[in-house]
Amino acid sequence: MQTRTAEERDAFHNVWVIAEHRWGETKAVTFELLSAARDLADKRGSEVWCILLGDGVRSSAAACIASGADVAVVVDAPALSEFVDQTYADLVSRFIATYRPEIVLCGATAYGRALAPRIAVQVDAGLTADCTSLEIDPESGDLLQTRPAFGGNIMATIRAATHRPQMATVRPRVLDLPTPDPGRSGRIVEEQIEPDDVTENVRIIRTIRDNTGTVPLADARFIIAGGRGVQGKEGFELLKSFAETVGGAVAASRAAVDAGWIDYAHQIGQTGQTVQPRVYVACGVSGQIQHLVGMQSANLIIAINRDRHAPIMQFADYAIVGDLFEILPAMMDEIRQL
Amino acid sequence: MRIVVCVKQVPAINEVSIDPETKRLKREGVESVMNPFDLYALEVALRMREQVGGSVIALSMGPKQAMRTVREAIAVGADSGVLLSDRAVAGSDTWATSYAIASTVRHLGNVDLVICGKQAVDGDTAQVGPGIAAHLRWPQVTYVSHVSAVSNTALTLARMHEEGSTVLEVTLPAVLTVVKGINQPRVPTLVSVLASRGADVPVLSAADIGADPERLGLNGSPTRVVKTGPPPPRAADTVILDGPARDAARRIVHELRMQSLV
Amino acid sequence: MSTQVLEKQFHVEILSPRQKAENLEADLERFATRYTQAIAGGDVVCIPDNPLGKLAFQGTELIRELGLPAAPGQVSVHINTFHTKQNLDEVLGEAVDLGIDNVLVISGDGSERLPKLRAQDLGMDAAGVTSVELVQYVHREYAGAFSVGVAFNPYEPQEHEWEKLQRKVDAGADFITTQPIIGRHECIGRLQALGLPVVVEAWMSKKLHLLSDCVGYKISEDTPYDPWENLIALRNAYPECSVYLALLGFKTQLPQLAQLKEDMG
Repeated sequence: MQTRTAEERDAFHNVWVIAEHRWGETKAVTFELLSAARDLADKRGSEVWCILLGDGVRSSAAACIASGADVAVVVDAPALSEFVDQTYADLVSRFIATYRPEIVLCGATAYGRALAPRIAVQVDAGLTADCTSLEIDPESGDLLQTRPAFGGNIMATIRAATHRPQMATVRPRVLDLPTPDPGRSGRIVEEQIEPDDVTENVRIIRTIRDNTGTVPLADARFIIAGGRGVQGKEGFELLKSFAETVGGAVAASRAAVDAGWIDYAHQIGQTGQTVQPRVYVACGVSGQIQHLVGMQSANLIIAINRDRHAPIMQFADYAIVGDLFEILPAMMDEIRQL
Repeated sequence: MRIVVCVKQVPAINEVSIDPETKRLKREGVESVMNPFDLYALEVALRMREQVGGSVIALSMGPKQAMRTVREAIAVGADSGVLLSDRAVAGSDTWATSYAIASTVRHLGNVDLVICGKQAVDGDTAQVGPGIAAHLRWPQVTYVSHVSAVSNTALTLARMHEEGSTVLEVTLPAVLTVVKGINQPRVPTLVSVLASRGADVPVLSAADIGADPERLGLNGSPTRVVKTGPPPPRAADTVILDGPARDAARRIVHELRMQSLV
Repeated sequence: MSTQVLEKQFHVEILSPRQKAENLEADLERFATRYTQAIAGGDVVCIPDNPLGKLAFQGTELIRELGLPAAPGQVSVHINTFHTKQNLDEVLGEAVDLGIDNVLVISGDGSERLPKLRAQDLGMDAAGVTSVELVQYVHREYAGAFSVGVAFNPYEPQEHEWEKLQRKVDAGADFITTQPIIGRHECIGRLQALGLPVVVEAWMSKKLHLLSDCVGYKISEDTPYDPWENLIALRNAYPECSVYLALLGFKTQLPQLAQLKEDMG
């Protein structure tokens, strides 16, 4: 286990972003991370490098540079057209050993959360998942990584003082997208994939695209929940359409589930699921404690209810007194106009 | 097939709250349960055993009271269990935890498959599964949502990602992590619970599994928690919007836009 | 389908041991003792189904494994929607084999640990499976085997609750059991007007404040409450209704119950 002395740690420089690129598209989280990487690198007086692995990925290098990268390390090969954990991890680990970055960032996506921990073990690095903030400690220069734990009940700050690189993942849409500056200059470093890098243990058969746009409740950043005020199965169609508009998920209170309007899989609360979305919109939900315990960790709570004295109206950050059947369509109009 | 299922004892997360005075987690009175994701992992293993035969071993790393979780796995249907319990592993981060578990898997020998739940609900990192795979140098498939084919040499699986899912074939030995909803975990019977109470479950120490002490516990953990605290407090005052629907809608969508939520 | 259960005055709720019980053997013994005492007293034993979403043992498996006596008219088991289809049929099939002819069908409390029936499992086209769909299923697959009860909660918003009850009745409910009633409640008369037997629940614990969650408003801890007075009041107000005894204190109250039955003649 490679604990690094101060001298060894000093040999690690630059902030890396492992790009998430798939089927011709570099995902937005890559650019969000580049923006954060830029801030960190400026504080450290170092460079931002973007690691681009994929097939036809070279064409994304310019966009990465425009979003803050000084260097784009590109491995463009058909063997990389699909994400295979071992192959990607072995490649990146090899680069880390060669180039010794101080900080490595990755999106906390399905693939990012598979890739980053494998790399971290291989290169003896500390890894912090789902960071909500990244800062440089002014005294030591170490990366301070803050993240939620215990279902969002606590925030923990983590540091990897004696190991390098310092690795962190961040979920999509936690950081802001940068404004690209096409005038920025940077350089491209072409790396090659070696036959040994490609694992034979995994064979991709096919990918099934899910076009329904449904997000699992546990991972949804935007949840719209319905209670008794939704009045029936048909009312939930309005919530579903709102959820599609915002790329979110539909939830329900126990009352709505017990009334047979929606399946138990959507139930939030003491006898259902506990969620921690960025925003929770409760429509026609009275807000009994059994429901609140399931969603109180949401960052932003909006309640829509005809009864201004419903318990949820005091609990919420924004309480809209009105008819959800008027408010939701009005909100969707506003959103579509953006 | 010889399958190891990793199970973790965690607090019942929906009962956990933070003490407003001490700003620390209130642990008393909170029930300990098997990490919900692990129940799905266990069910995957049991169904594979039903298909191709073999054995399912429940493996946990934790304090002595984690024994209950191992017995629970046996009550559900695992053939046997093992508890790695040693002061030396206390304070482990995910790097050291996955090392300790990988060492235990090696110690058990002839393991074909390790199945973990996607993540533990106390840490929520989802790092230990891939970490075990990396320590063992085995292929990994995370976020498994469907098992289509099982043989003693390879599995055909679907793994989930943001666009949908990808079907792939992986050769054994391998490490899987599975998502909730992949199956319906079975419920133990009275007979199986009574039998599990009498099951002989070895408690292993770090020395038993031949683990390098430098890679365990706090010493073996590259990351340290330097501070914990409550999440940012909610704004004390509720903003009430009770005018015409259009105005309220405009105001709230503006706020959502400001917070990059739409 | 026998109505013997509904002809008996007292239904005694006996909770089954939780799966995680520290001293399971002792809990099983205590269950068996209470069970046999209640049967010997001529009362109906009622066994809930994983209350509060916490894994306990099914009444049917306890009766079988502990070799407890069961005959028609003696036992009522609860069944909720938090089962796999396979397990649901195992429990109901076992009930039939054991001669249990009375079930109380409720939606139930879910949790992370419990599976959940889906509409397609029961061959139905509905948004989800509630007590309504489960009543339909029991009538369809176990026709004539059970007297099927449903629950009524007078403390929930009433319009919804009556509408839901009507759907349960339309699905084939044979009797209705209420939440705990204190003294009198206007809903009882209206329930009886539906033409089905009504079972009234009596809260037998002195701690009335534990009902706060159920009734939806805070009952203070020092509210004076005499469960016996309440039980007698219920018997006087609703002599034609059986009484479901929740939280009965077996050591002290079961003997008192025997005395009460003697006094009532």
